[in-house]
Amino acid sequence: MSEQAQLPAGVSGGREARSRPWMPTLAQGLSVGEYIRSVMFRLAALIAVLLSAIWALDGQGYFWPAWAWLGLGVPLMLDRTASWAWRHPPGAVRRVACVWALVSVGAVILILTWLLTWLLAGVQTFWPAWALLGLGTAGSAYSLFALHDRVLVAHGRRALRARVEALTRTRTEAVDAQAAELRRIERDLHDGAQARLVALTIQLGRAELRVEREPDLRGLIHDAQREAHRAIAELRDLARGIVPPLLADRGLVAAVGSLAARYGLGTSIRSDTQGRLAPAVERAAYFVIAEALTNTAKHASATRSWVQLSAEPGCLVVVVGDDGRGGADPEGSGLAGLRARVEALDGRLTVLSPVGEGTVLEVGIPCVS
Amino acid sequence: MRVVIAEDLALLREGLVALLRENEIDVVAQVGDGPDLLRAIAGHRPDLAIVDVRLPPTFSDEGLRAAIEARRRQPELGVLVLSQYVETAYASELIGENTAGIGYLLKERVGDVRAFLDALQSVAAGGTVLDRQVVTQLLATREGARDVLSSLTGREREVLELMAEGRSNTAIAESLFVTPGAVEKHITSIFAKLDLAACDEDHRRVLAVLAYLRVAR
Repeated sequence: MSEQAQLPAGVSGGREARSRPWMPTLAQGLSVGEYIRSVMFRLAALIAVLLSAIWALDGQGYFWPAWAWLGLGVPLMLDRTASWAWRHPPGAVRRVACVWALVSVGAVILILTWLLTWLLAGVQTFWPAWALLGLGTAGSAYSLFALHDRVLVAHGRRALRARVEALTRTRTEAVDAQAAELRRIERDLHDGAQARLVALTIQLGRAELRVEREPDLRGLIHDAQREAHRAIAELRDLARGIVPPLLADRGLVAAVGSLAARYGLGTSIRSDTQGRLAPAVERAAYFVIAEALTNTAKHASATRSWVQLSAEPGCLVVVVGDDGRGGADPEGSGLAGLRARVEALDGRLTVLSPVGEGTVLEVGIPCVS
Repeated sequence: MRVVIAEDLALLREGLVALLRENEIDVVAQVGDGPDLLRAIAGHRPDLAIVDVRLPPTFSDEGLRAAIEARRRQPELGVLVLSQYVETAYASELIGENTAGIGYLLKERVGDVRAFLDALQSVAAGGTVLDRQVVTQLLATREGARDVLSSLTGREREVLELMAEGRSNTAIAESLFVTPGAVEKHITSIFAKLDLAACDEDHRRVLAVLAYLRVAR
């Protein structure tokens, strides 16, 4: 029993005593706090020993110094448990650890007190039972209260992350599938309706040559041929709108060059991209540029326009600008459509269009190149 | 004239073959992809190859690459490339350093049989035939091209496009329903506006237009 109260002080003092039996010094590499602590422990141990000696010299009898040992031991226990609790990360977990440190110190005090009353005064009942139960209940209740948020939030976060991952994956698959599907449609048009119409014009051409001496028939065939030509031209525009052939064959820079040429805006094109990008990325960038150049041609009255493609780490940045009249509505249907297209790839689109100072459209599309 | 056709779509291939045979052109081989085209050219030594841009296995620009390779191996071979769409980028690659014996037309131009046969003769004889859409795009690409184009009248522009297709003055006159004299006047005016000296031969005129566009590019 005497060991119970004295052992911790003894351990602490003994460790220091190895190098210097009676007093620690700051020169041993201790911080000021640790120094004061070890001095206090030594003082406590000294007082405990002194009181025991007084009891022995006083003719013994009721071992009253045990109560003093208990009193001296309490600060020591508090110090130990508090430093244990403080090692936890700040926040709810540390608060719970502090509560349990207090609960355990209280429990130890209760049990030791009971031990002393039992040994010294012969008390038979285990009277701290209800107090211990109360302490335990209070500690558990506090823990539940402090941590339930954390547990629930962590669970919610995990579920959310899984959902985001699933959505990202399925959306990428959907975008890729869409690109493949559009490519297939373009090819079907090319090999199907377009080819058939060309074959028709060839047949009409052959017929036309054979009926040269019959002007009425010849005129009829000529008209039929003109209709076929119109259908071919319309299908070509349609196919170009689905998958521009040059984009599929040669990539973004070549396709943008051809696009700019068709608008006849004298657009300057700069690019530091290399190699091919993912088809979905190329398509999105292409249609953004196409829409921007259409707007420039239709509304801007610009004297100069430019397109810049730059490859940044993990991202394609497209800037399309003109020096026209500005004032484009960022929420207008054209730009909103572009934004949707870009955001489907986790990209972002910004429009700067002050009135009278031209329009600059910037788009960033994440990509693995 | 001996011709090899490279076209993977049977419908079009048969139409072309029928049209050529009716007009006394000798189709010596019909193939469906690039490697077969190169073999056919090496085997038959034709005057002209008619090649679809999009051929298997990639269905992108396989035919264009095969046509360029065919010309590299056999520089005197005339190559007429047909496509559902025309791109100046492809025209530039096809022409390379040598404009002689090159044609690049939209597929539907075949329907205008007389013009198409003229184009075949022209390419086989070392001329240059470019689709009017290519010319429009080339002009549009040029810096300040809008000024040049806007200085041309609508009729002059039509004439320029037909010239680029390798048509003769008479053919242009017929096509536009005007007299050959009127066409000549338009051409003189175009050359003046584009700052070109007039030449007699059709393909030289195209060369001149091309040279002008190239220098300006």
